[in-house]
Amino acid sequence: MSEAFRTLVNAAAVVAIPLMFVLFLGWGVVRKVKVYEVFVEGAKEGFATAVRIIPYLVAMLVAIGIFRASGALDLITRLLAPVTSFIGMPPETLAMAFMRPLSGSGSLGVMTELMKVHGADSLIGVMASTMYGSSETTFYVLAVYFGSVGIRNTRHAVPVGLIADAVGMLAAVWVVNLLFR
Amino acid sequence: MLNYIWISLIVLGILVAAGNDAADEMENTYRNGVPLDVRFEIAKRPTPLRSTWEGTIVLSAAEFNSLYGPGSADSAVDQPATISADGSGRSTVTMAAGPGTPRLWAEMARHAADPGRLAATTPPLNPAAEGTALPLRIVVEPIRFVRLKAVTSAAIDYAAAAVNISIGLIGVMALWLGVMKVAEEAGLLRIITRALTPLTRRLFPDVPPDHPALGAMIMNIAANMLGLNNAATPMGLKAMEELNKLNPRLGTATNAMVTFLAINTGGLVLIPATAIAVRAAAGSANPGIIIGTSIIGSGCATIAGIASSRLLQRLPRYRRQVEADHE
Repeated sequence: MSEAFRTLVNAAAVVAIPLMFVLFLGWGVVRKVKVYEVFVEGAKEGFATAVRIIPYLVAMLVAIGIFRASGALDLITRLLAPVTSFIGMPPETLAMAFMRPLSGSGSLGVMTELMKVHGADSLIGVMASTMYGSSETTFYVLAVYFGSVGIRNTRHAVPVGLIADAVGMLAAVWVVNLLFR
Repeated sequence: MLNYIWISLIVLGILVAAGNDAADEMENTYRNGVPLDVRFEIAKRPTPLRSTWEGTIVLSAAEFNSLYGPGSADSAVDQPATISADGSGRSTVTMAAGPGTPRLWAEMARHAADPGRLAATTPPLNPAAEGTALPLRIVVEPIRFVRLKAVTSAAIDYAAAAVNISIGLIGVMALWLGVMKVAEEAGLLRIITRALTPLTRRLFPDVPPDHPALGAMIMNIAANMLGLNNAATPMGLKAMEELNKLNPRLGTATNAMVTFLAINTGGLVLIPATAIAVRAAAGSANPGIIIGTSIIGSGCATIAGIASSRLLQRLPRYRRQVEADHE
C-alpha cells in the first residue's frame, strides 16, 4: 500500500512540471494569448522579486548563523533534556526540533548525524527523519515570502509559524512512539 | 514578535559564545602552553638541500586523552608533521589536519593561525640522533576565542549566503512567473480557482472568490505537496504579490498572508523526498517508512497553523495593527 502510494506520488512529481508547461502554455495558445510576449512580460518580474528579498534574507540568516555558531543550541538542548524525556522524546532529537524552523541545511545536518550515530531504522533515526518531514524552515519561508512584498510588520505570523512547528514536532514524537516503540 | 526573536538570536548567540570561550579559558580546554611528550617517527631527515624533518607524530589514544581529557581522541594519534628550525633556538612543528589527526587537534586546527594547520614549538632536533624515532616535547600554539571567531565568520558567511540564495532564485523565478502569467492571461488560473472555491472561501474569507491570488496559492500548495520546491517558491511569491494588492496597509501582513504562510510553514508534503534520500544513504532497510508518519506530522502542523492564525488574528494587539488606517 505504502509502496504503491509512493510510486504514484513519485510519478506525479516527475510528470507534473512538463504537464504544467504543456497545459498552461497550450491553453494560452488555444485562448489566442501571445504566449511568448506574455511569458517575457511575467518573467521580467523575477529579477526584481529576487533582489527585493535580499535585505530580509540577510537579516534573518545572519541572526540564525550567529545563533548556530555560538553553541547556544547545545546549551538549550542540555537544559531541556529532562523535560523532553518526560514526553517520550529522546533528548538527542531535541536539537532537531529546535534546528528545524531555523535552518534547512542545519536540520539536514542534524538528521544525517543522528542516523549515522544511532542508525537510520532506530527510534531516534525514524523520529528525526519524521520531524524533518513534518515541517518547513519557518524563518526562511517567513523572510522570503514577506520580504518579496516588503512586509516588515509580520503581525501574528511568527507565533503562528512556531505553533505549527511545535505541533508538528510533538505529533511526530507521538506518532513515531505509537508505531515504532 | 519577530523583532524580539531576531534580537534574541543575535544577543543569545554572542553571550553564549563569549561564555563558552570564557569557560574554555578557565578550564584551559586546549591546554595552551602545556608541554606534551610525543614520539616522532622519522620519514625524512634534513639534507643539505632541505632543512626540514618530515615524519609522523605517534601517540596512543590513552596518552592523548590523559592530557586533553576523555574523548579528545577516538583512536591512536598518527599525525604527519614537518619540523623546521627557525634559528631562534626553537623549532616549529607544522601539523596539517588529516585522517590520523585526533578529534580535538582537528578542531583546534580549524581555529589555528593558519587554518587547517596546527603549529607547535619544540627544542631543536639533533641531526646526528640515531634511530627511526625520537622523543619530542612539543607546545601547541595557543587557541583562544574559538566561539567568538566562529560567530564572526558565521555572520559574514551567512550574509553572503543570503545574497547567493536570492540571486540563485532569479532564473527559476523568471521561468515560473512567465508560465504563471500565461496561465493567468489564458484564464486557466480562474478555472482552477473556481473549482476549489468551497475550500478557499473558508480558508481565505478576506480574498474575493475569483481573485488571482487564490489560483497562485492553490498552485503553490499543490507544488509543495508534490515536493516541487523549485516551482512552489515562485508560485508562493506570486501569490504574496497578488495578496499584497488587497493589502490596505503596505508593509504590514494581512490575515490572508499569515494563513497562507501557516500552510507553507506547516509543509504538508506527500513524499518527504529529502528525508527518504538521507535515510537510504544511511543504510535504512526501509527508507520510505516515514511517509505515513510525516504526513501525520505535517498535517497536524498545517492544521495547527491554520487554526492558530485564525485565532490569533482576533487578538486586539494584532487587530489594532491592521485597523489603524481605517480609523
